[in-house]
Amino acid sequence: MSKAVAIIIIIALVAVVGIIFMGGGASAQKVEIKDGVQYITIDAKGGYFPKTTNAQAGIPTKIIMKTNGTYDCSASLVIRAVGFQKILPQTGETEIDLGIPQAGVPLQGVCGMGMYSFVVNFS
Amino acid sequence: MLKTYTFHVSGTHCAACKILIEDVLKEQGFVKRVEVNLKKETVEIETDSGQGAEELAEILTAKIKPHGYTLALEKKEQENKNHDVLWQAIPIGLLFLALFFLLQKSGILNLGLGDQTTPTTGIIIGLIASVSSCLAIVGGLVLSLSAKISEDNVSDTKIFTLFHAGRLASFAILGGALGAIGNVIGINFTFTAILGLLAAAVMILLGLNLVGVFAKNKFTIHSGIFNFFRRIEHKTLTPLILGFATFFLPCGFTQSMQVAAISSGSFTSGLLIMSAFALGTLPMLAFLSFGSASFAHGKHAPLFFKSAGVVVLGLGIFALLAGLAGLGIINPLFSI
Repeated sequence: MSKAVAIIIIIALVAVVGIIFMGGGASAQKVEIKDGVQYITIDAKGGYFPKTTNAQAGIPTKIIMKTNGTYDCSASLVIRAVGFQKILPQTGETEIDLGIPQAGVPLQGVCGMGMYSFVVNFS
Repeated sequence: MLKTYTFHVSGTHCAACKILIEDVLKEQGFVKRVEVNLKKETVEIETDSGQGAEELAEILTAKIKPHGYTLALEKKEQENKNHDVLWQAIPIGLLFLALFFLLQKSGILNLGLGDQTTPTTGIIIGLIASVSSCLAIVGGLVLSLSAKISEDNVSDTKIFTLFHAGRLASFAILGGALGAIGNVIGINFTFTAILGLLAAAVMILLGLNLVGVFAKNKFTIHSGIFNFFRRIEHKTLTPLILGFATFFLPCGFTQSMQVAAISSGSFTSGLLIMSAFALGTLPMLAFLSFGSASFAHGKHAPLFFKSAGVVVLGLGIFALLAGLAGLGIINPLFSI
């Protein structure tokens, strides 16, 4: 194989890996306010969905992590900002209290091995 | 009459190679003095045999060939060949990486499994885990160690068997222990994350080594790690312990199963769940280690080592970035 061909193939493959890493369509936002409390629902299975959530700042907020037969890394969730570190039940809902988030301070959750993550923006 | 010859030597990958080559060559009666220069990759020989340089190179190569070294008068040929192989190996390695990440992204692996974790689901989850992102760490480590061990041309089959036996044993025993005493052994996120970073570092180093980046001054980084591998190669206990340690390597699937073992509440059920899981991961991991052994002794060995190096390097970098993100040190750069 000549070097030029090899280089072209390498560039193409790097691009493919890059698209795989960066890609991921936006999924529907699941934010609702009930009795003055804001609930953000995030599905955890093979990653976190939606990956980015936009929510309101300044009101009591809770995250509901929804698992459904989740055995992969997304079950072991770490949210450092609120000191949450737990392996979620394989199936079920886990409520995490965020207190009253401030505007402009995004909240990040990441799985134990670090390959899946989600972010909640407050404004 | 004493004459001095200088030969180019290839295959020197470690600090101890110098000692080994010198020992072997000194055993030849007609060799009076040997000096191996690892940096220049040359061997200087003082001899009273009347043979020409070419003949000498041939005779001496025959002696050290079993250890994986060759002497030659010319150096360039070897290098060009190496580069050609590398240019083939990079696309092959990247192709495997792309396919692997594509598989993760496809969501095929997110099968719905029942809520109850039984030994049967354990096996299925193990099978899935062994081709999933867990593979990035456990599989990458297995591949890099296997390729490295096979490259050093030792009795690899025994080592791999011990490694896999150690892995199965640790999952059975520790799974049982989790079932019996439950949360006493909390699985600490930071601890596993740090182990993951260590594994990533080993993978990156071995990956670079397999690719041959250290071809010029390889041994400088090495002596510590090198000693470690010598120990793996020569002792029975080390591969067993290494297999044992994989229980703690960060892998979401492993962690889920550990939690299932904890909540199972008895030694037997914990043991069954974790052993089933380890059994499920065995085919893929065994394929990686025994597969690399058979490639390593085949015709395409150099291409295999370099491709494996590219794959391991990619997985190592992935594991490193992910591990740092998991510890909150850097922002997650990607999401698969």
